[in-house]
Amino acid sequence: MGEFEVHRVRFFSYVPAGVRCLAYHRRTDRLALARTDGAVEVYNFAANYFQEKAIPGHEARTVEALCWAAGDRLFGAGLGGDISEYDLERLRVKRSVDGFGGPIWSMAANAGGTRLAIGCEDGSVKLFHVVPDGVQFERNLDRQQGRVLCLSWHPSETHIAAGSVDLLRVLDVGSGRTVQRIMVNYHVQKSKKRECVVWSVAFLSSGTVVSSDSFGRLQFWDWERGTLLESHTVSTSAVLSLAVSEKEDSIVVGTSAGATYQFQLLPVKMGSQDKHWVRTKPFQHHTHDVRAVAHSPTALISGGLDAQLVIRPLMEKMQKKGYEAVLRKFTFPHRRLVSSARKARLLLFQFSQHLELWKLGSTDESGKDGEVLPVCRAPEHLVQLKSKGPEHIYCSCVSPCGSWIAYSTASRFHLYRAQYEGDGVSIKKVANVPKLLLPAYQLQCSADSGSLFVASDQGSVHVLQLLEPGGCKHLHTLRPPSGTLEAVYLLASSADGNWLAAASGDWEIHIYSLKRFKHHCTVPMYSCAVTALAIHPVTNNLVIAYSDQQLFEFSIPEKQYTAWSRTVQNSGLHRAWLERDSPITHIAFNPKNPSHILLHDVYMFCVLDKSLPLPDDSASLMNQSALKQLPETARKRQLHAFKICKKFQPLLFADLLDENCLVMVERPIMDIKTQLPPPIQQKKFGT
Amino acid sequence: MRGRRGGGRLRRKLGESFRAGLGAMARRAGRQRRAAGGGPAALASLPSFEDEADEAPEEVSFGVARAAAETERKIAGEAARRHRELLKEKRRRREELFKEQKRKKLLPEAVLQELAAAPPGQQSEVTHAADQDEHPEDGPARQSEGHVPGQLKKDKPKGTRSKGNYMAVHLKDQSLTGLHQQTAKDFLYTHLYGAGTNRTHANEFFSLENKKNPVKKAAVQFVDKSWGLEEKQKAMKFKKCWLAAKMKSLV
Repeated sequence: MGEFEVHRVRFFSYVPAGVRCLAYHRRTDRLALARTDGAVEVYNFAANYFQEKAIPGHEARTVEALCWAAGDRLFGAGLGGDISEYDLERLRVKRSVDGFGGPIWSMAANAGGTRLAIGCEDGSVKLFHVVPDGVQFERNLDRQQGRVLCLSWHPSETHIAAGSVDLLRVLDVGSGRTVQRIMVNYHVQKSKKRECVVWSVAFLSSGTVVSSDSFGRLQFWDWERGTLLESHTVSTSAVLSLAVSEKEDSIVVGTSAGATYQFQLLPVKMGSQDKHWVRTKPFQHHTHDVRAVAHSPTALISGGLDAQLVIRPLMEKMQKKGYEAVLRKFTFPHRRLVSSARKARLLLFQFSQHLELWKLGSTDESGKDGEVLPVCRAPEHLVQLKSKGPEHIYCSCVSPCGSWIAYSTASRFHLYRAQYEGDGVSIKKVANVPKLLLPAYQLQCSADSGSLFVASDQGSVHVLQLLEPGGCKHLHTLRPPSGTLEAVYLLASSADGNWLAAASGDWEIHIYSLKRFKHHCTVPMYSCAVTALAIHPVTNNLVIAYSDQQLFEFSIPEKQYTAWSRTVQNSGLHRAWLERDSPITHIAFNPKNPSHILLHDVYMFCVLDKSLPLPDDSASLMNQSALKQLPETARKRQLHAFKICKKFQPLLFADLLDENCLVMVERPIMDIKTQLPPPIQQKKFGT
Repeated sequence: MRGRRGGGRLRRKLGESFRAGLGAMARRAGRQRRAAGGGPAALASLPSFEDEADEAPEEVSFGVARAAAETERKIAGEAARRHRELLKEKRRRREELFKEQKRKKLLPEAVLQELAAAPPGQQSEVTHAADQDEHPEDGPARQSEGHVPGQLKKDKPKGTRSKGNYMAVHLKDQSLTGLHQQTAKDFLYTHLYGAGTNRTHANEFFSLENKKNPVKKAAVQFVDKSWGLEEKQKAMKFKKCWLAAKMKSLV
């Protein structure tokens, strides 16, 4: 197997942005998520909760509300006052319409998905029609003093409930007038009289309005009479979000202290018709404010300001106890944020608005397994490249020799030439980059640093030639034979410069020949999203990792799956391998051992040895520690192909630099949490 | 019989006459004596002066008393009048001062008229010409004003163009949306992180578990990296400069 010197990197100070809005789309089983920095992501629940689309944020864009409307269209509104429609194929904002009401605090789509209601800063509720090419203003409903913080449509689309500070009102959509005003601040002791902010509201079809406020209460109101039906004090801190299930028998609420609670409509006595809302399940999955919750038919979904998305399947809705019922927690993105320049031993870290180039340290000594070696030269922060403009960076890459750095934002593409003299580095921008349709969704440099591959929309890939003193020329644009609307998001190039593989949003992988600039073949379609691609330097086999943790090996010259891949599919992968939470984001190879494949996901690093037998379900998958204790002869019987190391967690990136050198970029969760906004204090006995 | 209370001057007068008439009488501070204008019998009722009551008070005729009262009134009236005059004078002086200052701010009349009439190119000449004819009273002030060419006041006529001294701003930046957004963000901040919310540092929050463990551990972040940031930055800069200087001297 070999011994490796591991560079354990913890200086990537990546802090993900908190989750601000969630919107669950039932028909396609997808979840749209908006973060505090304006980024929007879409998770595909059917494809093992893979983050299939990510639209980077914008400095001036804040998203306060997100909703699905008119089928599969995603709309967002924020404090900038605009309603934006997101183009999920081209991963950008398609168009935005000014609401003319000041900052927009809330937005809700009606049951049919044909109208949008927005609640604005000036206290007005405005209605918009969803038309095929955007949204169109319909009318203004009654306007009152005080910002409208939350909105909810009645399922029959006749009334809208709007919550503001100290006040909850119900508007009639037909006439536009306020038909009921409910003061929310009554039932509080005089000593605690402060402003009661209604953070979220829901309108049930029985005529009950559910509201959650900043006093930590969940209240149920009869809107026609304006009376309080039930009041539950959930916590001492504010209840920031609530979501109702489709059948209206279950509500999930999220509080400022990071706790989520489930309320269910249950009969008080067995068999009686009288039902009450009862608080059933408390959860403490988050440490910071839970600002967004969603309710799918089988799971409770919550997103907090600690940047975690937690999906808790409900046991009573699960058919059997298995991996489907497991709690899923996502903190890190499902794509690579780190590029490495192997020969120059450099790492390029991609942040949302800048890039950092680091040189790895080195050590003179050697040691045994598990020893920590002293560093004789510390890692050096060479360059920090700030992106100009308010847009966030889509993708970046560094060439293997380290002399070319490229990155792309929504409207600009930048290419830099780096020159290393001694210990210093000088960066020069390459002017006159070819005009491409931006943004670039993925950038990949060829192995000889002579070409740059730019993944673009509609399945096309641009090939740019990098000229020596510091120039760039557009060589060719590769297109798939059957047109597609989706963009390419993964690229892999072969070491000999002959082949290029591109995976696009419709889950198809096309292979192009770079010698003749034409399409070579298409990998057979699989029912899941691609998470990582890599081409073996010697055999030119394309190794593919899918989001349901399946692995395939496709031989490019022969245009078919390899024998090893067929064996894997016939025997099936080990159950513990398939039940991993995070997808594989990077695949690398060892030039010294052609049968090795190096893979990693967030919680493990694996060296796959194709020459060894595959484990079956009865054997233990993570048997490295057990094998170390066995004598040599006994080891041979128990060896199998998967050599998994869980020592380095959570991993953002792992790569092989040369024969004996590995680099692991870790990001400890506690380092992220100490940089987040302050959490609510929790009183613990004895401290 | 206690006499009726008189005005201040009656009080004073009677007190004087008392003093004059009774001679060696112990005086009590703050005690006021009242008596009728011409009633000597009133004194007999005052208990403290029974020993001195044997002497009759001085007899003062009505006319004399009236004349004395009038003189006193006149004195008081004149004092009030003088006070009023003084205030008036003060006010007048302040008004003049303000008018003076206002006049000083504007360019002289002549200059303004010429500016309205003269074409734009010749404004510097106009100001120079106006320097000469100055108001005699504000001589030095005008001169200093006139030496600054091109600075036109807000009340200049609309036809003139000014060169220099203007600022081009991007209208989009000056719009109200930025202000609305900031208000909205402030609202959110005060309600989530403001007073009344029970927030704590990340360090305290995550160190609770370390405190409660059976084996107590240190806090999660016991070094505050933000201490002495300026000193550290200065030290880094100094080091760079020193190294650069060293390299230079070696080469």
